[in-house]
Amino acid sequence: MNLEEVRPGQEVLILNVYGKEEVLEKVKAMGLREGRRVSLLQKVGRNLLLKVNNSRIVISRELARGIEVQ
Amino acid sequence: MKSVRVALVGNPNVGKTSLLNHLAGTNLKVGNWPGVTVEKREGRVKFQDYQIELVDLPGIYTLEPLSEEEWIAYNYITQEKPDVVVNVVETPNLQRDFLLTVELLELEIPTLLVLNMSDEAQKLGVEVNDRWLSELLGVRVLRTNGRTGKGVKAILPNVVELYTLKEKPKPLRYSKELEEVLEKLRESAQESKSELLRKLLQERQNLHYREFLKNTFGKEAHEVVKDQRYATAHGLYREVVKERPLTSKDITDSLDRVLLHPALGIALFFLVMFMLFKVSFDFSAPFMDWVEGFINGFVAPLVSMGLVSLGAGPWVERLFSEALVGGVGFVLTFLPLVGVMYFLLSVLEFSGYLPRVAFLMDRFMHRLGLHGKSLVPLLLGFGCNVPAIVATRTLETRRDKLIVISMIPFMSCPARLVVFSFFATLFFQNPAVVIFSLYMLGVFVALLTALLLRHTAFRGELYHFVMELPPYRLPTLRLLLRVSWAYVRDFLYRAGTLIFGASVFIWLLLNLPPGVKDPSESVAAQVGKAVAPLFKPLGLDDWRVATSLIPAFLAREIVLSSMGTIYSPQVEKEEKEFDLLGAMKEQAVSLGVAAKDAVLNTFKPVPTAFEVEEGEESLRQVVAKSLSPPAALAFMVFLLLYTSCLGTVAVMWREVGRSFALLFLAYSFVVGWLAGFVAYGVGKALGL
Ligand SMILES: Nc1nc2c(ncn2[C@@H]2O[C@H](COP(=O)(O)OP(=O)(O)OP(=O)(O)O)[C@@H](O)[C@H]2O)c(=O)[nH]1
Ligand SMILES: [Mg+2]
Repeated sequence: MNLEEVRPGQEVLILNVYGKEEVLEKVKAMGLREGRRVSLLQKVGRNLLLKVNNSRIVISRELARGIEVQ
Repeated sequence: MKSVRVALVGNPNVGKTSLLNHLAGTNLKVGNWPGVTVEKREGRVKFQDYQIELVDLPGIYTLEPLSEEEWIAYNYITQEKPDVVVNVVETPNLQRDFLLTVELLELEIPTLLVLNMSDEAQKLGVEVNDRWLSELLGVRVLRTNGRTGKGVKAILPNVVELYTLKEKPKPLRYSKELEEVLEKLRESAQESKSELLRKLLQERQNLHYREFLKNTFGKEAHEVVKDQRYATAHGLYREVVKERPLTSKDITDSLDRVLLHPALGIALFFLVMFMLFKVSFDFSAPFMDWVEGFINGFVAPLVSMGLVSLGAGPWVERLFSEALVGGVGFVLTFLPLVGVMYFLLSVLEFSGYLPRVAFLMDRFMHRLGLHGKSLVPLLLGFGCNVPAIVATRTLETRRDKLIVISMIPFMSCPARLVVFSFFATLFFQNPAVVIFSLYMLGVFVALLTALLLRHTAFRGELYHFVMELPPYRLPTLRLLLRVSWAYVRDFLYRAGTLIFGASVFIWLLLNLPPGVKDPSESVAAQVGKAVAPLFKPLGLDDWRVATSLIPAFLAREIVLSSMGTIYSPQVEKEEKEFDLLGAMKEQAVSLGVAAKDAVLNTFKPVPTAFEVEEGEESLRQVVAKSLSPPAALAFMVFLLLYTSCLGTVAVMWREVGRSFALLFLAYSFVVGWLAGFVAYGVGKALGL
């Protein structure tokens, strides 16, 4: 499943990050990469609020769709 | 004296600027959201025999820059090669921060690792084995608290030692195959790992090495290198960080559940904004009255007395009472309002709420074809348009940047508020409503401008939204006062230079040609009368109003100081005996009363600051007689929308270019004029 399908409060493991966009390098550097655990805190509008380790990250749904999780 | 160039490098919002301020005694901008620093800034200190140049850089997550401010940091680090790198990391987030650390270590420059936010790490149960970390990397490790300054003292001695001993970190060890390839590329012992990697990944003749890596690892060479960096960073994290599971609830999570609630959160946002304005007004109003009394009832008579006893001529006395007391003094009356407003805005900036508004409001911004992220510069615009425009550097695309820059000047700043608060209280029953509507009008025109641009010059797709939300943080009171003081000092400085200059200039024009008796025959009047027809459709055909608008292109407050200068000869002065001691006592007592009123006001549920008192023939009354309420409304609308501020135009010029800045200036003039015209018509129709 992809990250967009995760429900608030759920914690998942990132399996893979797909996509070619430049911004993905930044997203990965912020901690969203394979092997990391993330929990979804909230979905508001077209964005997701995630928690990775001790930091909170907002990403848009389109990006989340390209992140495969389990 | 030897100078040492030291760069502060780290992820966004880890406290780099806070540390620099502690080290160099500077007052550079600090705030609790990523992307506060968007320019290279310097602070200098003398330490032992060294002149230490500390360079503060915008935060970056990785040495692969994307937005403008990230490029600034990247270019400085890779091209200007600082003597020492101080890598600041956020201790609770080492899992993330170590990636940049690894990239920096590839440069093989003497490096100091600073574990900042050690206080938060402790609260979160994050423990770092700094000895082991230091040993693994061959770098010195310090712990600091950028909020209070604890541990900061140790930075400079270590920097100097690193520099004098040329103490390089241990070379990183990547996997065997990669290291072998890099050794083959080595031409001299001086080359750093980052240079070797650059050769490997970029030079054409090394294609066969890249092919070799691709065959070995089944991935493109640059992916291989990245994987190795991540693996090293992660290995390091596993080695030195222990995280104890938390028993207590995290305060940020609890607050977010309310403040980021899709419906409740938005209501709370409007409440926060309302309180910001209410408290600014109510708390400052008694002090504004006091300052007015202090200037007119104490400073002015005292200096007049002094001037008379020195035997100064009547024109010196007039220059003083008209240009200085009437002009500059008038603007200074509003100092408490500006001070309180900035204090409260700083509280917002330090709390961590600002980036959350961006997240919350993204739904609406999205409809306009903009990111929520653009809201951060827009909100900063309520504080001052100039830094807000610079802050657009954090936006990833030029399209977003240009749209947001075209919106910011319509965000009303305290300089405008000062003008509004004067006119609104003078002409309207319900000044709070008028001021609120003006702010909303500004926002509305900004949105309209964005829509317009998006359907003409900047179509194009919306870029992805990626942003970090920091935890809520409490600033120290000292920090808040220092930041607000910087703004107040700025305001005073402007009063002493720009506004003073403009007042004297106007005063001179009012008294030329020499010997002119009736001001309406002076040069100032002739200039005003020449411009007045342009403003006649807005109901502003009085030359005195038109004249005061001309120097206001420097800064909007100048409208008030000019009016003060022009109108104050008409204010009748009461002659009173001035007794210094008595006056001092009187001022002290009334300051006490003002303080008490300020506190009381703040806790009343409805705004109270606008109760207009009837009084003697003051400047207010004189101005009130020369304008009709609809014209006053038109005047405020025009001044709200027209970019009548040299600073804003200059920064636009620098950030985007001359033609954009001038075109925008013309656009804002036209919009301001048209809106003023409409306001005048509506005002008259409503019978204001
Ligand atoms: N609790 C705590 N807060 C800190 C510490 N150091 C800095 N802060 C706060 O963290 C926030 C960010 O500080 P800045 O100095 O602006 O961070 P920066 O790294 O310069 O940020 P950018 O310029 O955006 O990259 C501010 O609100 C500081 O008051 C610390 O050690 N502990
Ligand atoms: Mg900074």
